[in-house]
Amino acid sequence: MRKTATYGFLLTLLLASACKKVIDVDLKSATPQIVIEGNITDAGGPYIVKITKTVDFSAENVYPPVTNAVVTITDSTMKRTEQLQQIDSGVYVTSTIIGQTRHTYGMVVDVDGQRYTASSTMPRRVQLDSITFAENVNFNNQTEINAVVNFQDPVAIGNYYMFTEYVNSRQIPDIFVFEDRLSTGRYIEEPLFNDSSYLQKGDTLVLSMDCIDRNTYDYFFTLLNVTGNNNFQSVTPSNPVTNISNGALGYFSAHTVQRTAITVY
Amino acid sequence: MTNYLYKRGKRRASGARKAYRIALVWAACLLSVIASGQSRYTVNGTIRDKNSGEALIGATVSLLETKTPERGILSNSYGFYSVTAPAGHYTLLITFSGYQPDSLAIDLTHNLTLPIELATAAGQLAEVVVSAQKRNDNVTRPLMGVQKLTTKEINDIPVLFGEKDVLKTIQLLPGIQFAGDGNSGFYVRGGGADQNLILLDEATVYNPSHLLGFFSTFNSDAIKDVTVYKGGMPAEYGGRLASVVDIKMNDGNDKEYHFGGGIGLISTRLSAEGPIVPDKGSFSISGRRTYADLFLKFSPDSSVNDNSLYFYDLNVKANYKFDERNHIYFSGYFGRDNLAFGNTFGIDYGNATGTARWNHVFSNRLFSNTSLISSKYSYKIRINSENNDIGFTSDIRDADLKEDLQYFVDAASKIDFGFSVIHHIIAPGIIDASSGSSYNSLTLQNKYSLENAVYISHQWSPTDKLHFDYGLRASDFLVLGPGDFYTYDSAGNTTDTAHYNSGKIIKTYTNPEPRFSVSFQLDEESSVKASYNRNTQVLHLLSNSTSSNPTDLWIPSSNNVRPEIADQESIGYFKNFKDNRYEFSVEAYYKSMQNQIDYKNGAQLIANEYVESQLLFGKGRAYGLELFLKKKAGKFTGWLSYTLSRTELKIDGVNQNNWYPAKQDRTHDISLVGIYQAGRKWTLSATWVYYTGNAVTWPNGKYNINGQTAFYYTERNAYRMPAYHRMDVAATLQGRKRKRFSGSWTFSVYNLYGRENAYSIVFQTDPNDPTKTQALQYSLFRFVPSVTYNFKF
Repeated sequence: MRKTATYGFLLTLLLASACKKVIDVDLKSATPQIVIEGNITDAGGPYIVKITKTVDFSAENVYPPVTNAVVTITDSTMKRTEQLQQIDSGVYVTSTIIGQTRHTYGMVVDVDGQRYTASSTMPRRVQLDSITFAENVNFNNQTEINAVVNFQDPVAIGNYYMFTEYVNSRQIPDIFVFEDRLSTGRYIEEPLFNDSSYLQKGDTLVLSMDCIDRNTYDYFFTLLNVTGNNNFQSVTPSNPVTNISNGALGYFSAHTVQRTAITVY
Repeated sequence: MTNYLYKRGKRRASGARKAYRIALVWAACLLSVIASGQSRYTVNGTIRDKNSGEALIGATVSLLETKTPERGILSNSYGFYSVTAPAGHYTLLITFSGYQPDSLAIDLTHNLTLPIELATAAGQLAEVVVSAQKRNDNVTRPLMGVQKLTTKEINDIPVLFGEKDVLKTIQLLPGIQFAGDGNSGFYVRGGGADQNLILLDEATVYNPSHLLGFFSTFNSDAIKDVTVYKGGMPAEYGGRLASVVDIKMNDGNDKEYHFGGGIGLISTRLSAEGPIVPDKGSFSISGRRTYADLFLKFSPDSSVNDNSLYFYDLNVKANYKFDERNHIYFSGYFGRDNLAFGNTFGIDYGNATGTARWNHVFSNRLFSNTSLISSKYSYKIRINSENNDIGFTSDIRDADLKEDLQYFVDAASKIDFGFSVIHHIIAPGIIDASSGSSYNSLTLQNKYSLENAVYISHQWSPTDKLHFDYGLRASDFLVLGPGDFYTYDSAGNTTDTAHYNSGKIIKTYTNPEPRFSVSFQLDEESSVKASYNRNTQVLHLLSNSTSSNPTDLWIPSSNNVRPEIADQESIGYFKNFKDNRYEFSVEAYYKSMQNQIDYKNGAQLIANEYVESQLLFGKGRAYGLELFLKKKAGKFTGWLSYTLSRTELKIDGVNQNNWYPAKQDRTHDISLVGIYQAGRKWTLSATWVYYTGNAVTWPNGKYNINGQTAFYYTERNAYRMPAYHRMDVAATLQGRKRKRFSGSWTFSVYNLYGRENAYSIVFQTDPNDPTKTQALQYSLFRFVPSVTYNFKF
């Protein structure tokens, strides 16, 4: 429910008259921390685990890959383990594991004598019914076109969803997560509000609907809480809640994938 | 475990023993005081304004012939006074700031009831005459950490949009800190914004702000008296850790009708007062409505103008005096904000309070007030988009019974005692969703509780130099059924659910709260004071966003959440000079706080039945030094206040369990206020504030996740917002007085030199260069001019 948004728009009204400027802030540098991003899906492999390190705020957005890691993924349900191969700097891929719903996967990453572990269970797939479009006036007071996802949430509580949009093959920076905590068993018609107008009539939209587990939902929910325009009303910033042990940043997610291509109307 | 229980039991026993000992000492004092009275008589009555009949709060009454004439006793909240002395002939002297002093020869050979009326110090010159009166209460009274503001000071000080504002004005006083632009919350001695008890005619006001915090809920037209206690709280008050802001509404003129109002850029105010029965009863009504939404209509942005953004509020009060012994009062407040974004989103919220009071004089020395109070804060959110037609409502409702008694022993001794019972019902949230919507309708269970307290305190001056004010408040909090009560493990998973029926007591918290203040007068013009007090807080406001929202959630203490406790010690030196024209004070305080609340990372506070599982607990400490220099008389008046302070928290699970600065930690906080009476027509005023930026959490690094830049945080509140400073000026032109009609123009500029104070700093990818990140500062107001026309007749 977009209650924060409700309130955020009011601030936006006030901030319409506000001035903004880029300022210099003197941020301390931090010891580079390991960042792991691992995904297993129900689409065919190979599946990728990307390992990088953080850089200082003032640095360029170039993140050093970690090339000396040993990465294994275990299908705990099938009791099958595989060591991943590095195909590009910091990019490790599987070759045999096949992602299946309701299987639990474990990831172990060994780097420089440190071990990072995580596990994730791929939820049951919920079918996306359709994508429709709606016009809304956004908080910057522009009319924008938003995709609306339509699907039936299952009767049992505990379903988590993530939506990613690609317009004309480019990923839109907004990520959407949705939980059925307040919507269990409902037919969901959820507009995906963008921070800017990205969708134009005639564009090709590829929308990915992923059924994610609770940890992945928590990760992206807490990540979204501290990024972008949410900062006006945000919680005290902190690193997202991760399912990876030992202080690593990032997440490990086993999830289903449904990609749908549609022309924006 | 047994060991733990044993220790707890022991601690409670020692607390009880301490309370018992205090009670014993007190009883001994009282007996000695009463025993010494032989053929003593009492003069009592009520002190009122001669022209309006308004009861005067805090007027000084003394007998010139007794050895402490300048101290005397103070009239109470209803103007009642009572002085007892050995039989004799005396001169009764009554003084009150802004009024002509009065003296009466009295023959105290029998008990007397003597209503007193004081005339305002009329004309411009009187300002000086009155101020030259000895007003050294600040030196002689044991009260510490108390600030009082007069309506005149509130009226003369410039504020945003020319909307004079009690809560904004008190934030210019030492130890009371402005929470920032767009935030009507304030921090007292390191306490959070929810740790202030804000009372309007005794009723708790749960949300003291309008329009996202730019205005307070208090219409200054309706207000008679404001007192802020930031330490050394009298035992009569309890329920919040940091401060008490006690606001009293005007009673209304019981002699003649008057009307007044003001027309400003964003609001209009109207008020009326007059007798119901002349000299016996009166009423007062004040209302205001903003038209900020009209502003939106002027917005160049065409789509802004179908939005609404306004508030209104209404203060009503009526009273009737049956006789000198019985007086009843009814007062009420109702206010509502309405903010909407087209048809898509909307929120309205507001407070409603009502107080019915009965003053009864049992004897010429025993004054009683009985109050029945109700208070409600509620909000409703409407969301209407796609298939979703959803309402979300939440409220908190209080019903209280409060009894306060004052026994005026003699000129050197007074006893206050009483009790209060507050029944709280909190409805955390009701979702009302249409059948086709994506959300389920849901009603979170109501939370019921009872907040009880009994108190007794004694103001006592054993010598004319030494004054004590000490007492004990015992608070008792009952968590009541019906409801499901949950037990959580450390990960926040529910391990047990217990259902209790209506009327069942789930948990009881009893806390003795000792209060103690002492002052020792060094000479006529200076004194030293010390105080200790314990306060507890049983209701907690959950808000994990960076500024306060109308949707922040109040929760009662429960089986999982314990009452917050604060112990504060303070010492101070008070000095008046130049015949009390100047007032100087320095106070130092140390406060330790237990059971402070913080939130788990990503805490879900909205519509969450298990919201208590989202909380973290810890402790806090705050200490500081406050300097205050005030010029009270002459053409130029004003003050300088400086606070040096530190506030830190240590919460389990935050910042590696290390102490870290609280958001409201302010190293330096300066307020400078000047009011200049330029001739008969013009009053000029200016304020300047400066404070160290709030403690904030900023990233120390960044990384890439899912194709986007994310920020890496290593330490809580390790950075500072840029320092905040701002100057506001105002000029008031008093129009010529014609018969009864008088009008005035107030011109003001908020943020005179256009400082771009940071409201928020956002970190993001540089839109012009995706290989870089940048920090973007948002600031709100630069030069906000305003003009207001005020009138009365």
